[in-house]
Amino acid sequence: MSGAVALAPPALARLTRLMGGRENLAASFADTCRRLAARHGEAALEPWAGGALALVEVNAGAGALLAFWRASLELSGRLSPAALGETGHAAAALCREAGGRATLAALDAFVEIAPRLAGPAERTLFWRALLALAQAAPDGVALVAAQARRLVRPGHVAAFEGFVAAGLKAAGRDRARQRAFFALEDPLALGLLARIGAGPGFAELETDLCRVLAALWGTPPPLQPLPPGGEAPRRVNIAGPVVRLPEVFPGVAGEAARALYRAAALHAGAHLHFGNPRFPIGKFKPVQMALAGIVEDARVETLAMARYPGLRRLWAPYHVASSADGPTVASLLARLARGLFDPAYRDPDALVGKGQELFAAARGRIDDPALSLAIGTRLANDIGQRRLRFDARGHVVEPAYRDDGLGLWDFSDIAPEAADEVELMVEAARLERREGGDGPPDAAPSPEPAGRARPRPAGETGAVIATYPEWDAAAGIERPDWTSIRAVMPAAGDTGGLRHALERAGPVRARIARLVKAARVGRAARLKRQAEGHDLDLDAAIEAAIARRAGEVPDLRVFRSTALSQRDLAVLVLIDMSQSTRARLADGAGVLDVEKLAVAMLAEALAALGDAFALIAFASSGRGDVRVCEVKGFDAPYDTAAAACLAGLSSGLSTRLGAGLRHAGAQIARVRAFRKLILVLTDGEPSDIDASGEDLVQDARRVVLQLRSQGIDTFGVTLDPAGVGSGPAIFGKANSMPVRRVEELPARLSELYFRLARR
Amino acid sequence: MPTAFPAGSSPAGSSSAGALDLSAYRLAAEPYYRPVGDEIAVFEAAWRHRLPVMLKGPTGCGKTRFVEHMAWRLGRPLITVAAHEDMTAADLAGRFLLTPEGTVWHDGPLTQAVRHGAICYLDEIVEARQDTTVVIHPLTDARRMLPLEKRNELVAAHADFHLVISYNPGYQSAVKDLKESTKQRFIAIDFDYPAPALEAEIVMREAGADAALARTLVAIAACSRNLRGHGLDEGASTRMLIHAGRLAAGGVSLEAAVQAGIVLPITDDADMRRALSAAISACFA
Ligand SMILES: Nc1ncnc2c1ncn2[C@@H]1O[C@H](COP(=O)(O)OP(=O)(O)OP(=O)(O)O)[C@@H](O)[C@H]1O
Ligand SMILES: [Mg+2]
Repeated sequence: MSGAVALAPPALARLTRLMGGRENLAASFADTCRRLAARHGEAALEPWAGGALALVEVNAGAGALLAFWRASLELSGRLSPAALGETGHAAAALCREAGGRATLAALDAFVEIAPRLAGPAERTLFWRALLALAQAAPDGVALVAAQARRLVRPGHVAAFEGFVAAGLKAAGRDRARQRAFFALEDPLALGLLARIGAGPGFAELETDLCRVLAALWGTPPPLQPLPPGGEAPRRVNIAGPVVRLPEVFPGVAGEAARALYRAAALHAGAHLHFGNPRFPIGKFKPVQMALAGIVEDARVETLAMARYPGLRRLWAPYHVASSADGPTVASLLARLARGLFDPAYRDPDALVGKGQELFAAARGRIDDPALSLAIGTRLANDIGQRRLRFDARGHVVEPAYRDDGLGLWDFSDIAPEAADEVELMVEAARLERREGGDGPPDAAPSPEPAGRARPRPAGETGAVIATYPEWDAAAGIERPDWTSIRAVMPAAGDTGGLRHALERAGPVRARIARLVKAARVGRAARLKRQAEGHDLDLDAAIEAAIARRAGEVPDLRVFRSTALSQRDLAVLVLIDMSQSTRARLADGAGVLDVEKLAVAMLAEALAALGDAFALIAFASSGRGDVRVCEVKGFDAPYDTAAAACLAGLSSGLSTRLGAGLRHAGAQIARVRAFRKLILVLTDGEPSDIDASGEDLVQDARRVVLQLRSQGIDTFGVTLDPAGVGSGPAIFGKANSMPVRRVEELPARLSELYFRLARR
Repeated sequence: MPTAFPAGSSPAGSSSAGALDLSAYRLAAEPYYRPVGDEIAVFEAAWRHRLPVMLKGPTGCGKTRFVEHMAWRLGRPLITVAAHEDMTAADLAGRFLLTPEGTVWHDGPLTQAVRHGAICYLDEIVEARQDTTVVIHPLTDARRMLPLEKRNELVAAHADFHLVISYNPGYQSAVKDLKESTKQRFIAIDFDYPAPALEAEIVMREAGADAALARTLVAIAACSRNLRGHGLDEGASTRMLIHAGRLAAGGVSLEAAVQAGIVLPITDDADMRRALSAAISACFA
């Protein structure tokens, strides 16, 4: 060996020397070296040795070095010594941040998943993600390494990096949360995990599903996402009128995912359309529930296919269970489902044949859901007599497009002796209830309140960005620099609620879209009697000819032309988000929610029109603290961030309208446009903790007049059910629109805009 | 059925023309119309009192066909004018034209109908500008007069003159709408797509489709109409079904016929087409 040392290139030589002195490593090192050299030739090992030295230099410890030898041998057929050297360097960098144990775990994980990594770029990606994790949450490295198989999917290595980044962001510096996340014990982590390599998911397909459901069954049911649970696959859940679909079907991607979602949604649609009986649970056992569910599925599908024969094509591909799947009860149930779906299917187990016979015999009363209960009970008895064990906890409805079947049952009268067993099945199907605590199994989950606002941390006041004067009506003077405007960072809110509200408002939105279309085309103004134009103005031409014959001087302007009316308009929507907007309407939505919906609809229209616009919300807490939140500036696009910000507005504080208006005026004054419009959306009277309402009305009136003299029109849309508010006093009678019914606000606001914009 | 006003080739009208020959506007054969409700009775009653009629309803649901049928039934000539944005009052009422001998007045289609007792059908009246529309006001109240300002003439309507307009309420925006004072002069008959069995009957007859094909097409139409307000402005009209049915009855595969006759014309939105196609594919085995 000593002879080789003298000749060996420097890194390998150094490494050999160092290892020779380490009792617990010398033998394994020599062995590794020998086997690598046999494959690649000793001369090629230099870069590999460089990687190993890097590990030595960061004191990686014997465990990590042994793991590196292991990795080198395991992967020697796949990776060159140079690539292995890179691995050593990457592991060393990791070790500096997270220590030897984490490095050991990472190297072992790397051996496992290396075959999934395509080329150096993906290997780099893997190590880079671990390094980022090590820098922020060193404890997470070993946890993630232990789950590497689940987290690194072929073709989706970038998603691994995304997973780590999301975890760091979600957990912040909270150690416990970090641990839970990276050990995959956190719901968010599980959700992200399920999405790796899957998709499109519920979020991408919701609109499509809604449309297909609407097309086939009329008004679509409310759809909600169902977060992924543990290891067991998720199924659709029907809760009252609501259909809850898994956020993703793990492992199903592309067109297959689209097809599966459609199959699932239309199956649920068939339940809602043809039955959804809610059998009283009474003393029914899980096995009876499961079988009655299978029969009921077949019943509603049979009815659905009678009306829409093409649905068979949609569902048939999922019915592939066969006796080759093994002698389990789960397989037997899947085959029964197949047999009822496809009467031509023959199964060696008599239970399937019996089910088919009973079902065929009940054809005449297929409209009656009670037949499902009757047939299901008979089949369940057979299973019981054959002493087949039905695993209530592990039961998963097959095929995957079908719902969990729980929607068929009314659990309110559960017999105590059956409760435990049934609970097992319900729990297994609906893991998330324990996490989310969203009510008893038979209660429809209450939809998220539209545009739920995130509570703002107290005392979150931003820097003063402007001061404005205020009119003191009593003293008859304008007090300079009396109010201070502070910018508050808009909290990003949950856009889901807002999106749903927008979807529910379909007809109004469609109407607005038509207005947009009409306005965008710009109504061509027809100009008669022009000196030039693209065709003759027949009447003018005739008059000219008559004049000429009569010996008069003809007017030669005999052409017609058209001119498109140009839109050159800037609009600023000023949104009152004071405490009074917290009031609730009969349907539970808050006034602010309706305001948001109204603004969102208008914003969509404005964005489609290409008109310059800004959205600013305001509230105040005394003259020194007038808060404004810029939801969208004139230069910013109306994108998802802006929508999230709009959704995130929350009610609170008072309404110092004059200050808000001055600020709005200052913003819009900077914009170049022929017409400038401020639309104020407010529900109440000006008020604040340190001023009288009457004074503030006077001040606001003064601002409106000042703005008008600057060529800025201010228009007040006031939620004023009684029609007695100060709107007309502030904005003038012609420029104020009291809205009596808050629900009408969205339609009215947009209509108002189009009316104003046409003038 | 030469029902549209033939712009260039119209019989030259002049004040001196007495009983003009409107035979070109008479319907020789019975236009097929399948009654859906009591619309024939209502129209006949309105006709008896010469009350102007407004046919409301979505595009392609049979309004035009109905007027043709009624004109035939009542034995009156029918003059149809398709309104458009650039239509002026002169286009309806008439104008002076130049001839070698001097200027000659030329009756517009409305004036022709008024003088000689035809049914005048103004299709898609809202497309015209409101200042054009008001020329019909004096015709549609007790006066039954058409003032021709340019000619300084007041034409009293022929006893058989009858005015019918069509109006598609779903399609209009606030920008284009009939004036209240115009709307309130009319008897309205509401049209909608016929009930499935009836619509299938119409499709069979008009497209030469067999019963099964007609039923499938009607089911497809129902799906598309459910999407109104979910991304479609309008569902498939009876007219579209007839078009698709003709293609399919002529040997084009049903899928291709429905794509070409319904899906592609009705929307340009790729996502919408996908959803619609999915629903359509559920409609046939
Ligand atoms: N009740 C019916 N009886 C017979 N044919 C009908 C009937 N309803 C619709 N149709 C058929 O539908 C086609 C379209 O109808 P029509 O042209 O009358 O539509 P419309 O309502 O006038 O449409 P638009 O508003 O676009 O002018 C007709 O050519 C005819 O073939
Ligand atoms: Mg089901």
